[in-house]
Amino acid sequence: MSARERVLARLRAAPRPSFDGLRMGGGLRMSDKLAASDGLGTSASDTPLALSLSKGELLARFRAELTALGVEHHVESTPDAVRARVAAIVGDRPVLRWDVDRLPYGVGELLAHAADGASARDVQAAAAVGVTGCDAAIAETGSLAMITGRGKPRAASLLPPTHLAIVGTDQLCETMGAFFRERAADLAAAANCTFITGPSRTADIELTLTVGVHGPGRVVVIVGP
Amino acid sequence: MTAPSADFAARAGAAIGDARLQDALGRVTAVFGSRRTSAFASLPNAEAVRDAARAARLTAVANLPDYLERFESRLLANGAHVHWADTAADANAIVAGIATRAGCTRAVKSKSMVSEETHLNEALEAAGVAPIETDLGEYIVQLAHDRPSHIIAPIIHLTRQDVGRVMQRELKVPYTDDTQALAATARTRLRSEFLRADMGISGANFGVADTGTIVLVTNEGNGRMVTTLPRVHVVLMGIEKLVANLEELDACLKVLARSGTGQQLTVYTTMVNGPRREGDADGPDELHVVLLDNGRSRIRAGDTAEILGCIRCGACLNVCPVYRNIGGHAYGDTYPGPVGAIVTPGLRGLEPWRELPHASTLCGACRDVCPVRLDIPRMLLALRRDVAAADLQPRSLAWAMKLFAWTASRPALYRAATRVARVWLRARARDGWVRALPGLAGGWTRARDLRAPAAKTFQERWQERRA
Repeated sequence: MSARERVLARLRAAPRPSFDGLRMGGGLRMSDKLAASDGLGTSASDTPLALSLSKGELLARFRAELTALGVEHHVESTPDAVRARVAAIVGDRPVLRWDVDRLPYGVGELLAHAADGASARDVQAAAAVGVTGCDAAIAETGSLAMITGRGKPRAASLLPPTHLAIVGTDQLCETMGAFFRERAADLAAAANCTFITGPSRTADIELTLTVGVHGPGRVVVIVGP
Repeated sequence: MTAPSADFAARAGAAIGDARLQDALGRVTAVFGSRRTSAFASLPNAEAVRDAARAARLTAVANLPDYLERFESRLLANGAHVHWADTAADANAIVAGIATRAGCTRAVKSKSMVSEETHLNEALEAAGVAPIETDLGEYIVQLAHDRPSHIIAPIIHLTRQDVGRVMQRELKVPYTDDTQALAATARTRLRSEFLRADMGISGANFGVADTGTIVLVTNEGNGRMVTTLPRVHVVLMGIEKLVANLEELDACLKVLARSGTGQQLTVYTTMVNGPRREGDADGPDELHVVLLDNGRSRIRAGDTAEILGCIRCGACLNVCPVYRNIGGHAYGDTYPGPVGAIVTPGLRGLEPWRELPHASTLCGACRDVCPVRLDIPRMLLALRRDVAAADLQPRSLAWAMKLFAWTASRPALYRAATRVARVWLRARARDGWVRALPGLAGGWTRARDLRAPAAKTFQERWQERRA
């Protein structure tokens, strides 16, 4: 008998435990029941997000959350303005970026000679700025959703001390729950999905906040047209 | 590492006598407590979300074998390797075996309570693998050869001066008590470990059965490093940590960080579906998931099955009047606080840990703050009943309780006894307080005075009013 069989046999040998206050019954699939009372939380605002906010309202909420998290953010109205902003933030520092064709607004062409996912690890680790796109921007929490895939190295949003993320207005998504519903197939196909909500932080020593302990201590978001 | 329960009173006494620890405990638990309160205040339908999270977790516990089979099949379809372990030693042997087969010698770890439970680090070292803790608090615990004292803040028992001295001694760096500088030292040291490690070891905050997803929540980014850079990623998780699907995960994530640190979400929420896919630039080549029982199936079969719904947020520690006075080490094992008082006897056996269920005032604050509404006082009482039934409590206490029950169920005798006790106590009191009592009752007055009883009992006054 394998350990698997023993563990499962022990679990099946005991009576199925029952618990008080389970308002949603049992079974593996409870999506519909939970969706009926979708719990949408807030912090910068005290009102729950309605499920059909305008682009402008979503952007306002996203920015308010970024501010609360200590994330620098810029809204630009043209691709040229996005590239100019990127150039100003990056300066002449070494960059680790997503593949050129994965970055919107021609930002990839601007950084054509930067390190990417194919570069050696020590070259990646020496980058000062990581430049990425994102797969969704969650307005409710100010989170950047990053689904792994071709040309989108995880290291770009992880190793450099500054992470610069380019977000398209059409990527704004109300909640993590909505993102899960809309992008379930993409999530299932990818190896990894990470939500980034602010700069890396710790308060392990005397509850004193320190940013950038392992991940980027500075996160900058540019929202393009 | 595991301390015998018989020393509980001694450990608690030492903690209460440690003025610095008392100061830290008071400050930390108050800060966490108020952050939690404001985080939930801004979640308008918080009670409904808590209900959803409770239903998600306890439905998983109730249907655990089905969930596990579903989870395993999804993991395998995603390209992960799945291992099952009956005991802590088995789990450690499996992880060491993975390292040996894959030729790994340097492991970086993100915070994992299950690996503390199994004492994985010692087992890895014995197998020739050097495990490095990478959560800042856990790293300092490892450097100091100490133990974590809080579920989410492992070193609240240390000051920044302590941390400075540990780093000076162990890393040969100049002393500083500047927290930014201390964190920077850890960042530099650990960055080189991340870059050269060939194995990453993590726990799991949740496993999603429908999708075969491992979910990790971290703030520092070490969890992302551990799951991204080394070529082999091993997840060590208890069999109970499942939810059905992503919508249930959403509900659980909404309450976890709010309850733990008072954040809406932790900085990084990492969902691991499998090893790197074709065309991915980074990510591990191999993903192994070790599913550990180690007593959980026994807990599920008993009266404390509900504790398996715990999401390890630490909120019950911060509000517990006992934890706030004795800290995490006094509980003697991996899991401190009210949750530990139930989990430890469940995992390790009631007899050696029989004092833990009594380390509670049963005030119910833990139940009130628990994001998944676990009825912790009920479970503590169930364990106390088991302690009494198994005749594990001190003889003197058993006899005292029997004597009390016998007296209290005889009204005339009870009235006479209270009259005698009242006269006797009032004779010993000065300025309305009794400062010392003899025998078993001395346990009360050792740490505090007892207010002298009133001149008349409630029953006497009641009779007078009716007359």
